Amino acid sequence: MTALDLTGVPCPMNWVRARLALEELAAGERLDVLLDHGEPLRSVPESAREDGHEVTLDGNRVTIVKR
Amino acid sequence: MTLSDLELERYSRQLVLPEWSGAAQARLRTANALVVGVGALGSPVATYLAAAGVGTVGLVDSGTVELSNLHRQPLHFTPDLDKPKTATAALKLRVLNPEVQVEEYNAHLSEENADAVVAGASIVVDCSDSFETRYLVNDACCAQGVPLVSGAVLGFGGQVMTIVPGRSACYRCAFETPPPRGSVPSCRDAGVLGAMAGVVGSVQALEALKLLAGVGRPLLDRILHIDGLTMEQTLVATERRDGCPACARVPAAPQSV
Repeated sequence: MTALDLTGVPCPMNWVRARLALEELAAGERLDVLLDHGEPLRSVPESAREDGHEVTLDGNRVTIVKR
Repeated sequence: MTLSDLELERYSRQLVLPEWSGAAQARLRTANALVVGVGALGSPVATYLAAAGVGTVGLVDSGTVELSNLHRQPLHFTPDLDKPKTATAALKLRVLNPEVQVEEYNAHLSEENADAVVAGASIVVDCSDSFETRYLVNDACCAQGVPLVSGAVLGFGGQVMTIVPGRSACYRCAFETPPPRGSVPSCRDAGVLGAMAGVVGSVQALEALKLLAGVGRPLLDRILHIDGLTMEQTLVATERRDGCPACARVPAAPQSV
């Protein structure tokens, strides 16, 4: 499991960083990211879903399972 | 109006076009083009209009140059970071073509200033990045009968339409309402490749030059869609809408375009 603290990182740089981290993972592996409330928590999970990944939220912790 | 020897040489490769002429070149010289937004689309648009000899090029933008702009906004260079975009763009354009008058409006286009900024323009090229500004520019152009070339780029998709108020469909005829505000844009929607914006901006510049010179057939009542991934281009027909709040009561434009 890989974890990234992206609090304090604005859109779209947070998604850029999450995406590059996902690229390093194999399908089925998991990335945990911490995001700020507001736009980041609305936007990053949505972007990850649009890319086909499985996304679950727990507060501001977003778990992305690579497609 | 005669062209100087230097002008003849500078513009020689367009003056030899069968469709072009000294009269067409002279029309460009007396024209005043307003470019709204000096970013990914505005960079190629302003560059080509100034290079081609449009007499006055106005630049509207309230932004400053950011590092994340540089991959797609070729009028701005790395030493320009944090400077106003209108100033850094104007500097390049004046060096490119000293014959051209460049006017800087370092301001955000709003309901308060739109009519005043558009007033006196021979043509407006909308290179903005928000629906709010697109409708604002469209409405101001319709109200004053100023032709408009509207363009947009998103990801690998691009879209251009040309509007002669009173004669062809305006932006509001074609797109009656903005997309719902509830549709939250995600981070991946912010993606764009500079070259794709360059394609769209170049089409906009070409449309503006055609209209100003009075040559060719502009994208009136037609919306050009470009898919940069497949290079498929589609023309979608559109038409004036009865009761359009922006253009229904606009008298036909006097220009012979």
